Amino acid sequence: MWNGNVKSAITALRQSKWRSLLTMMGIIIGVSSVVTVVSLGEGLKQQIVGQINSLGSNVITVRSGKLVSGSTENSLNLLGFFSASTLTNKDVSAVSKLPSVQSVVPIDFVTNSAKTGGHEMDNLYVIGTSPDLPILLNQKVNYGDFFDDSQTGQNFAVIGSNVATRLFGELNPVGHSLVISGVNFTVEGVLAPSPGGLLSIAETDFNSAVFIPTTVANGLANGHTDLLQILAQSRGSDLNGTVSDIQNALNQTHNGADDFTVLKQDQLLGLTSGVLNIFTAFISGIAAISLLVGGIGIMDIMLVSISERTREIGIRKAIGATNRQILNQFLVEGLALTLAGGFIGIILSLLINLGLRADTNLQPEITVWVMVLAVGVSVIVGIFFSVIPAFKAARKNPIDALRGE
Amino acid sequence: MALIELTDVSKLYGFGDATTLALDEVSLSVERGEFVAVMGPSGSGKTTLMNVIGLLDRPTNGNYLLDGRHADRLRPNRRAKLRRDRIGFVFQNYNLLPRLNVLENVALPLAYKGMTPVRRARRASDMLERVGLREREYFFPRHLSGGQAQRAAIARALINNPNIIIADEPTGNLDSTDSKVVMELLSDIHRQGNTILLVTHNPELTRYANRVIYMYDGMLVGDEFTAIGQMASGARRVYYEKHELTDEDIVSGVSKLLSDVPGKELAPMPRRKTKRRKRAPRRGKAIN
Repeated sequence: MWNGNVKSAITALRQSKWRSLLTMMGIIIGVSSVVTVVSLGEGLKQQIVGQINSLGSNVITVRSGKLVSGSTENSLNLLGFFSASTLTNKDVSAVSKLPSVQSVVPIDFVTNSAKTGGHEMDNLYVIGTSPDLPILLNQKVNYGDFFDDSQTGQNFAVIGSNVATRLFGELNPVGHSLVISGVNFTVEGVLAPSPGGLLSIAETDFNSAVFIPTTVANGLANGHTDLLQILAQSRGSDLNGTVSDIQNALNQTHNGADDFTVLKQDQLLGLTSGVLNIFTAFISGIAAISLLVGGIGIMDIMLVSISERTREIGIRKAIGATNRQILNQFLVEGLALTLAGGFIGIILSLLINLGLRADTNLQPEITVWVMVLAVGVSVIVGIFFSVIPAFKAARKNPIDALRGE
Repeated sequence: MALIELTDVSKLYGFGDATTLALDEVSLSVERGEFVAVMGPSGSGKTTLMNVIGLLDRPTNGNYLLDGRHADRLRPNRRAKLRRDRIGFVFQNYNLLPRLNVLENVALPLAYKGMTPVRRARRASDMLERVGLREREYFFPRHLSGGQAQRAAIARALINNPNIIIADEPTGNLDSTDSKVVMELLSDIHRQGNTILLVTHNPELTRYANRVIYMYDGMLVGDEFTAIGQMASGARRVYYEKHELTDEDIVSGVSKLLSDVPGKELAPMPRRKTKRRKRAPRRGKAIN
């Protein structure tokens, strides 16, 4: 059935190497960017899932805004992520008074800048929290200690690893001082690097965070803090009971306003991966546009190639090729072009993947289905955009084709 | 039953004012095993006639029976298959595909027939042996001399054992030695019972044919049976009997000479097959 079409297609492509390569460029870029974006999303999701799993299954998260409408995790209210927090310190104390709650960790955003004698950093997160944070989040402390209950009224700070290198360089920061909003803090400890990045547990990159006791934080900002989340650890194993306890307590403090969300660990997982999926799909969609552009490029070159090879088509028809066989020949050629582009794109994305792993702390995860999908899409693009030129070739009148040069 | 039977076949090209009549009610019947030479000036419709007979083109009017079946009403697909299995084309400029080697070129019709690569390579190799190009199998067409390329093209035309070989000026680009080789090859094929239609400008080549037809302005103006080995009398008359050349003849060259061939000067027609249409003499026009 193939009667040498594949071989002839490959020779045709090799005949004009540069042209073929440039034609494939759109497909190469499209495939490699889609694969890279999807693998980045996938890798990030796995990191965060790992992080959330390390929380322990008895941690309950209270978030500002109504993120989930109805009972399913699939219907996300993305606006809830961006609006100002509706949680207050009253909520924290209400939750901590519940008998079913063992410990409470607020994530209370204060400001975003801090400085030492020589350096200043203004893209960090100063977070007011409670001494239970390292236990609750399984967060290790590399140097020094997290502040404990006896230090909650004092100006102690625990900093993330990025903050440590940016503000203190090679020095061990423990015991040194740090200025936040004009107030001196003593560095009590440095956190171990955490992999989550921006999308980790509280939309906070722990590596760029400075943790200070809640009471100090409130004093610092005159109560105008932004309470991002409240994490609570259930005392017993009856998670659902604890969730409804918290729900009831908060309903009272919020006077019945439905502007917060209480999530168990698995719901948090669903929520986070839901958000990630949406972003990944969005960016891949943009990347996929270049597949479309690449397809049009392929159609263009196929049309040129057909008018260049008019005579060949005439000869083939004269010696007995049917329209269908001519059609197949050019379809296979377009397909070879896109398939080659797809494979080169995948190789390119593997290289990008290696580079990202070597140079950043991102862990992109290339799965087989992404590659299959990318190649599949490029095959579809190839067929779709070769059909018109191939039909044009097949329907050429053999006489005109033989006469043409 | 004749192998090829054309009745009042006309072919029009173009639209409106630009319409040209390439074939003007041509009727022709060719028996199996004939070697027909077709002569006539450029633009007289020889190639169009060959294209119609070779199923590359459809007549605008008239009937074409190939082997007793209507060939003018077939679907493109069917026509392609008939071209593949029954008709072999040999062109003036060889028309080998430049990107395929000789063997692949010769095997191409078999590929379109769906034969496996190994079998078609073997068949093509045998066929190349027959035309004396066995040792050139893996050459590309650009590495062949004109005579070799034309022999390869003939091998390709023969590969499916067609019963009709249509050779459109096969020696037009060849020197006399290569021409002789190619013509001997065609003659050999003819002796094995194939029907050959040969378009030529060279009267010498009518020696290979047993019938010569003359065309002028899309009409069939002469039809003559001759013995193989003898030059056709019509062609001979043009070249050997017309001694006085006018200036006009010199200006318009050989085509003009051939245009003087018209049937009325020919020996009495051996058959009544060709319908002749009387026309006003158009010499004055032709020179313009």
